[in-house]
Amino acid sequence: MAADVQKKKGWEVQNGSLAPLDSLQLERSESPTPSMMQGSEPGAGQEGTMFVHTRSYEDLTTDEGPVSMGLKKGDGDQIESDMEQISKDFSELSTKLTGIPMDMEEELRENDSDQQEKPRRDSVLSSGKNDEDVTTDSWRRHKKQVFVLSEAGKPVYSRYGSEEALSSTMGVMMALVSFLEAEKNAIKSIHADGYKVVFMRRSPLVLVAVARTRQSEQEIAQELLYIYYQILSLLTWTQLNHIFQQKQNYDLRRLLAGSERITDNLLDLMAQDPSFLMGAVRCLPLAASVRDAVNASLQQAKAKNLVFSILISKNQLVALLRKKDQFLHPVDLHLLFNLISSSTSFREGEAWTPICLPKFNASGFFHAHISYLAQETDLCLLLVSTNREDFFTVSECKQKFLDRMRRRGSYQTLQEALRTPFYSVSQVGIPELRHFIYKSKSSRLFTRLCLPSPKIEAPYVTKEEKERLLGLYQYLHSRTHNSSRSLKTIYYTGTNENLLAWVTGAFELYMCYSPLGTKASAVSSISKLMKWIRREEDRLFILTSLTY
Amino acid sequence: MSGQRVDVKVVMLGKEFVGKTSLVERYVHHRFLLGPYQNTIGAAFVAKAINVEGRVVTLGIWDTAGSERYEAMSRIYYRGAKAAIVCYDITDSSSFQRVKFWVKELQSCEQHCRIYLCGTKLDLLENDRSKRQLDFHDVRDYAEEIKGRHYETSSKTGQNVDELFQKVAEDYVHFTPFQVMTEENGVDLSQKKETYFSCCHH
Ligand SMILES: Nc1nc2c(ncn2[C@@H]2O[C@H](COP(=O)(O)OP(=O)(O)OP(=O)(O)O)[C@@H](O)[C@H]2O)c(=O)[nH]1
Ligand SMILES: [Mg+2]
Repeated sequence: MAADVQKKKGWEVQNGSLAPLDSLQLERSESPTPSMMQGSEPGAGQEGTMFVHTRSYEDLTTDEGPVSMGLKKGDGDQIESDMEQISKDFSELSTKLTGIPMDMEEELRENDSDQQEKPRRDSVLSSGKNDEDVTTDSWRRHKKQVFVLSEAGKPVYSRYGSEEALSSTMGVMMALVSFLEAEKNAIKSIHADGYKVVFMRRSPLVLVAVARTRQSEQEIAQELLYIYYQILSLLTWTQLNHIFQQKQNYDLRRLLAGSERITDNLLDLMAQDPSFLMGAVRCLPLAASVRDAVNASLQQAKAKNLVFSILISKNQLVALLRKKDQFLHPVDLHLLFNLISSSTSFREGEAWTPICLPKFNASGFFHAHISYLAQETDLCLLLVSTNREDFFTVSECKQKFLDRMRRRGSYQTLQEALRTPFYSVSQVGIPELRHFIYKSKSSRLFTRLCLPSPKIEAPYVTKEEKERLLGLYQYLHSRTHNSSRSLKTIYYTGTNENLLAWVTGAFELYMCYSPLGTKASAVSSISKLMKWIRREEDRLFILTSLTY
Repeated sequence: MSGQRVDVKVVMLGKEFVGKTSLVERYVHHRFLLGPYQNTIGAAFVAKAINVEGRVVTLGIWDTAGSERYEAMSRIYYRGAKAAIVCYDITDSSSFQRVKFWVKELQSCEQHCRIYLCGTKLDLLENDRSKRQLDFHDVRDYAEEIKGRHYETSSKTGQNVDELFQKVAEDYVHFTPFQVMTEENGVDLSQKKETYFSCCHH
């Protein structure tokens, strides 16, 4: 994903600012063109940006990057034979992990064909062939086990099963990890028995994923990186390193006690919510006038030490205010989303908690005031302060915000806007369209729509369906991001739905259609959808980035 | 919070899972939440006005997280507290170690903070007395030793919960010179935080 981003000229940092050039503002074209410049696409910010404009996962690319170590049988090379041994260990491990000896024949075959470079058929215009349906029977079993351990081999976190029960597994892990010895920030992966095993070393921790998903190593590594940042957000990088400098075999579970739920939630969320895959933040669709009112009220409720005021609803951004010259990173915002969705404890009173935003500054804590606006609402306000003694000042800001919203009737309007779904099929006017994701690259915001269809009952609503759909998007995403071409389109035909992906330098569009729709009609509906998005962009996106 | 005054800062301390949040939930919202245990993150603040001998006293309750992760930060939550409710689970003897830790910490850093030891989950003994791991009299003796008070409560049934917080408020009224209670001298939260915490800077 980084590769094509780097190629785009519009991405280049100028004067340390990535605000779109003024000249681009003039041509916010109605319909999409492949050559649309970043900053002029629908959803692009109009007055500067809201988020830090770095590539989300620079960590993955500035280092040596993922090194894939596929196994080749019969290769006499020393490393290869070592790897074979590890692979054998791993097949044992795999059965231990799931408790279900699996017939991996089919997965393996699919994976193999996946790895061989297929003739390129990802063009809407030139390809008639379809990709195989990635839906398999094993979909519902544990698709991804994740471990975190210290460099001394002590368990820190395990997604499934208690760390004790897995202690033998940890031994195998350590043997594997010794491969990473030399490099402090290495990412390595092994393909064995239909599994992808991805190792990431972020000293003093080692993170391991054993995945049966169709994700690429990079995508799995990104998720591990999120887990790493999640841990940093609780401890800070400084504290983490300090602890292990003092005592190499420290049992970190003591300090992380009670946080397993947060990490579990993050892994679940990443399997369902496209925000992480997109590396972007989902906006809550809202009439511009309502959003303006919220912003104005937030702006008025400021305090000296406040850095960010963030209003969210169910992992969607409603409004964000920031201190001048301070930018939030989408990854940090995702971590905040996760924190809030992982616990109901924020519904009790006003929370005041130390929190590290690792992408902003991994060495220190902010203090966050977290509270729901009312008992029966999903609207949650986060006020991030630099001063830990600031509770009452910040608490008063919240009250000021709420008072003003109420006085002006904005609170009521906002609540109503939340209740009435904004999108409807007829509005978009593409009957076969079931679901789509549109991401503006320059603003790092995306919108997602799930269209209720009269024919099928609640598509993509259950956890399983959400995960399955995200799996399909993931698949398209990795296909569009692992090639060096800058304009990429894929048309995919499955049993349950057809999908279309279009990735340009300025935006990404993923559309999911009824399986009855034809490719021709799908392609022809793109411009209709893009026009609609352009027309509605001030509702779908937050176009202006505000400061206090 | 605007316009609202806090008379007594109360801090809930104790090992994770002992039931601090449940105690506050019972007292403030008169309910006991079933469902999976949700550990507190950082700390939660809630204010509650209470009537003591015809006077309204506002308790500002800080429900802290028991996790060791926040231990280094705990000072910001208990600093200036007039009362600390230090909880332990009467069915878990290991939870009393943290009680001793907190008592020591309070004795050395917050001399003016009154200590209330609170044994939680009393209802668990109803059907099975053998579940008790902490003797009532042992703890009572310890409480006397440290000049603190001692309660055993159940957040599930509500037993002794109101009594505990009522006592906290009464002690405040009885042992605090009257002038602090007047309008002029109450802590005004719209003032700068330095003022609020000034009494306990070290
Ligand atoms: N039967 C019974 N269970 C209780 C009682 N009080 C708390 N519990 C249970 O004990 C568990 C922990 O309660 P919490 O109130 O969340 O514990 P806490 O001390 O706030 O924990 P941390 O926030 O992690 O420090 C929950 O499952 C509660 O349901 C009680 O009085 N009786
Ligand atoms: Mg709690």
